Amino acid sequence: MRLLSLPTPLLAAISLPSLSDATHTSNWAVLVSTSRFWFNYRHMANTLSLYRTVKRLGVPDSQIILMLPDDMACNPRNTFSGSVFNDKSRELDLYDQKPDTPTQESAEGGDIATESETSETTPQIMPAGIEVDYRGNEVTVETFIRLLTDRWPASHPTSKRLLTNSQSNILIYMTGHGGDSFLKFQDAEEISSHDLADAFAQMHEKGRYNELLFMIDTCQANTMYESFYSPGVVGMGSSARDQSSYSHHADQDVGVAVIDRWTYYALEFLETRLNSTSADVRLGELFDFMTFDRVHSDAGIRADLLEGGEEAARNRRVLDFFGNVQGVDVEMGDGGRESLGDWRADLEALRRIGERTKREMGELNVTVGAGSKVSAREAGADRSVLPAMRVEGDVLDMAASTGGSGWLKKAIGGTSLLLLGAAWVAGSKMR
Amino acid sequence: MKLATLLSLPAALAALVIASTTPSGDYNEHLHLKPLPGGHLYAGFNFTATTSLHDYDSQHFRYFPRSLAQILQHSHTRELHLRFALGRWDEESWGSRPRDGRREGGTGVELWAWVEGDGDAGVVDERWSSLVNSLSGLFCASLNFIDGTKTTRPVLSFEPEGVHRESDGRLELLHGTLPHEVVCTENLTPFLKLLPCKGKAGISSLLDGHKVFDATWQTMSIDVRPVCHRTAPREHDIDLVDTVVSSNVTTAPFQGGSNITHVQNILRYAADLTLQSNHSITQHYTLADDGSYLGPFEDEDCHLEIQQTVDMVLDIERSMRPRDDPIPRPPPIEQLECDAGKSYNSHDTCYPKPREGHRGWSLSRVFGQSVKGNCHLDGDKDQAQKYDVSLEVPLGRRTVDIPPATSITQSDFDDLEDVRQYRLPSDSQDFDLTLPHQPVPQPPPARQEQLPPLYASRQITGYGQERGSMHTTLRNPHSYAQRVVYLESLPWFLRPYMHTLKVEGHGSDSLPRLEKMYYTPSIDRQRGTQLELLLEIPAQSTVEMTYDFEKAVLRYTEYPPDANRGFDVAPAVIRVLPLHHNTTTKTNSSESRLLASGQGQYLRTTSLLLPLPTPDFSMPYNVIILTSTVIALGFGSIFNLLVRQFVLVEEVPTSPLAEKVRAVVARVREAVSELRPVVLARLKSVREGVGSAKGGGGGGDVQEPMSDGVGANGGLKPDGKGR
Repeated sequence: MRLLSLPTPLLAAISLPSLSDATHTSNWAVLVSTSRFWFNYRHMANTLSLYRTVKRLGVPDSQIILMLPDDMACNPRNTFSGSVFNDKSRELDLYDQKPDTPTQESAEGGDIATESETSETTPQIMPAGIEVDYRGNEVTVETFIRLLTDRWPASHPTSKRLLTNSQSNILIYMTGHGGDSFLKFQDAEEISSHDLADAFAQMHEKGRYNELLFMIDTCQANTMYESFYSPGVVGMGSSARDQSSYSHHADQDVGVAVIDRWTYYALEFLETRLNSTSADVRLGELFDFMTFDRVHSDAGIRADLLEGGEEAARNRRVLDFFGNVQGVDVEMGDGGRESLGDWRADLEALRRIGERTKREMGELNVTVGAGSKVSAREAGADRSVLPAMRVEGDVLDMAASTGGSGWLKKAIGGTSLLLLGAAWVAGSKMR
Repeated sequence: MKLATLLSLPAALAALVIASTTPSGDYNEHLHLKPLPGGHLYAGFNFTATTSLHDYDSQHFRYFPRSLAQILQHSHTRELHLRFALGRWDEESWGSRPRDGRREGGTGVELWAWVEGDGDAGVVDERWSSLVNSLSGLFCASLNFIDGTKTTRPVLSFEPEGVHRESDGRLELLHGTLPHEVVCTENLTPFLKLLPCKGKAGISSLLDGHKVFDATWQTMSIDVRPVCHRTAPREHDIDLVDTVVSSNVTTAPFQGGSNITHVQNILRYAADLTLQSNHSITQHYTLADDGSYLGPFEDEDCHLEIQQTVDMVLDIERSMRPRDDPIPRPPPIEQLECDAGKSYNSHDTCYPKPREGHRGWSLSRVFGQSVKGNCHLDGDKDQAQKYDVSLEVPLGRRTVDIPPATSITQSDFDDLEDVRQYRLPSDSQDFDLTLPHQPVPQPPPARQEQLPPLYASRQITGYGQERGSMHTTLRNPHSYAQRVVYLESLPWFLRPYMHTLKVEGHGSDSLPRLEKMYYTPSIDRQRGTQLELLLEIPAQSTVEMTYDFEKAVLRYTEYPPDANRGFDVAPAVIRVLPLHHNTTTKTNSSESRLLASGQGQYLRTTSLLLPLPTPDFSMPYNVIILTSTVIALGFGSIFNLLVRQFVLVEEVPTSPLAEKVRAVVARVREAVSELRPVVLARLKSVREGVGSAKGGGGGGDVQEPMSDGVGANGGLKPDGKGR
């Protein structure tokens, strides 16, 4: 115990600078609209708004996978050719904002933000143009799952692939028409929450992400992330089970609703609060922004899969998912094992082993020494920490559970036996 | 004035410039503007970049886009033609097509390429598949949907525009179309990224998705081809001619004998032989000034040329609407000019006067912005010959305002008297052209040269879910017969009956002649139908072509999400072969037209929508539910019949456990019934003792159920004993 505890602070102190940096080195975004037809204009506007936001915050087109099942901008019904709007003011064209035209970046946003941010705010050059990776009939459940799990034929172009690694943070945004644990694709097929959960599990196994923020704006959206089970996934949904997600408002000249409520307020938050690529805004603030008064449905989050639970998720910077990290993994040359990177990695591994052993020891102490059910249960609840701990935690949990309810059962059994006996005696006496 | 002739000028200039510069590559761009009848404006953008083949092979690029070059190298593509198109060119009012229709495509996306093969068919297919997949990634289009069912190998319709080396091996032409594909801003973005100035400077800064895709007709094209020029300068102007000849002449004429000494003869010969050449060009030749054969081009004479064009027809009125409020609203009554000649004209009834003369317009209003700077990449050394913008309006009759700093040159070509040429200012100034409103009488009637080579239309006729028929009309408005190649590539679910193919002529004594026919029947789910006809259409006549077809029934999973919309059928490609008898053309300009268009002219019909029988897509669920119910019912009853034994109630043996339980129950009841009189007697005595004042009604109430209970007990008791 003491032997292990001694080097841990030292190791922690050494590895502290690397920990304080962002743990990911790249940002990717997968933005999916799943509905076809003109009256679903708002779903495309939702997706394009997010596309614009992540692009504005620095994620390059090569790291954004945009899936649009129908064409709204050049639709013959669109009076505004080549444009898609998400607001009836029509100040911001989502499809191709020319850099010289004034953008929606208003000065009010700067005022709301803290002083340190306003000083840092720089005029953001928003690259013009739009690159849609999958469109029309290509947007299917199969394509989407293939994209996530990266299973493609050899001839598949790299620009249409999600080339992430275990150091990538991924933002996945989906919108469309859905129901309890499913989301419709193009009115022809569905993806279920289990399909998604399994795809994410595969991604985790293949080391395709570091952390994943899953956002979904559809009816009963919160049911979509309930079956996730892979670590590092944070889910955000627009409405609870049996609730509808509503559109925000319609534009009379476009003729249809132009944006959904949840996305509208998410955007409002992102547009006003994140007006520079160094804005220190946390995910918790975004969670809190989606109140019932705004969204008209119960927006939900799920963060228990993240290490540290909801507390950690609330503490994540929004830019960890929406911005672009220019983080660099320094790989030293083949100078031998003495290189700095190797040394760091070794220290980190040692520190982890130390921590794990320490925790194991602690838990053994708890279970052996006190033997109280409550602490054993806590150990069981904490099992997501380390895979090695999981087995033990499960065992303890089982023991605790059998112990806990067993006594109750025994008591019930005994009482019922006593009652029966009494009845027998009474019966025989009656006779 | 023929548009194509005009456009051949920049091409000629480009050719001259290319010939005179170093092989490291060149870039030039050009915008041609021409107002069309009906308040329309034609704008043709042309961007040409070249790189020497040596640089290309060693992956050293200056103006040639690297991303595209790498795709071409990887897929062994020697010549590429890619088209994105939208809308319809109105031949009736706008006349013949720009660039002879050779830089436009059918509605949607069209792609054809010459891919190098090594004799093995599988290799070419693999390379083609790799090409379409890579291009789909580059151009944000679903080009990867061009699979075996959408790929054809036309025989007569296309010919390589470039000059191909013998070392390229056997080249194969593959052609694919996606008529359903939407063309939108996301296709323009990568298109602009291929340009050296990326749409930020020069004429490409006018290209804005909002205007391009608001056009009445629009087509974007990318053409990559190898071209060869002699580096030595020539005395007279057959440089251009040389290019054309070298791209068309096959080995055939030279095997026939080298007695052809005149370039013009060869040219005619080449035009004659274009059909026989069958795109199997394996060798190219240099012709000396006297026409003798010098030998193959050296590699350093050859360049790879990429030509990107955007052609569009804008509705001037529509384009000049303010961007934030494009919905046309009626003008206020004060601004209306009423036709007082109408009988019903009064203070509240107005017939608006038609607008007279030419509407004023300017570049910045039509395109939403003026030209930003220039894109003169190699300095101003060829200043005298390079113009960025040309405007074709009647000289002297139309005033044009330009910024003062711009150098203006009017063309001194005889044919091009109506063309004004401008060069963009060399300092990065904005450039704008303004044509003020001029009340000029109606434009003069269309001249002979403006007639399109052919009018073509195609429809699906018939009714019902099973059969239909295709009806194509080709009209030759000219006073001479024309030979055309008609190419149709049909999806496999449209099965034509070729025995019903009829070609009928109207309006002329001579009958249309069907010279050749290439037909590749379809294979379900593997290959589409390809039909290629070589026809001669007599002068001033109409040819009608019909055939019947059958609609296939697709599998449930083969329907797209919007199956009820119908299925798009690719447009037919019509190639009007160049004339080889000059008797019908009179002027010198038509001669030059012939030279410039050794390939002939192209036009395409509109795409068609084929309604196929579509199932009720919720049907499978109904079927599943119904089937499950039936199975459950059937299974349940059969299972019962098999497992159960039916006997009379009396014959049912009682189980020993039930016996014991009954015995217990009987004993309990017995005990209860024994106890009951005692208890009742006690109760009675208590009640009598306590409440004698209260009536006996209560007692009677109590007694009656009791007696029932006793009776029931009495009834059960012997029963229980009996068993």
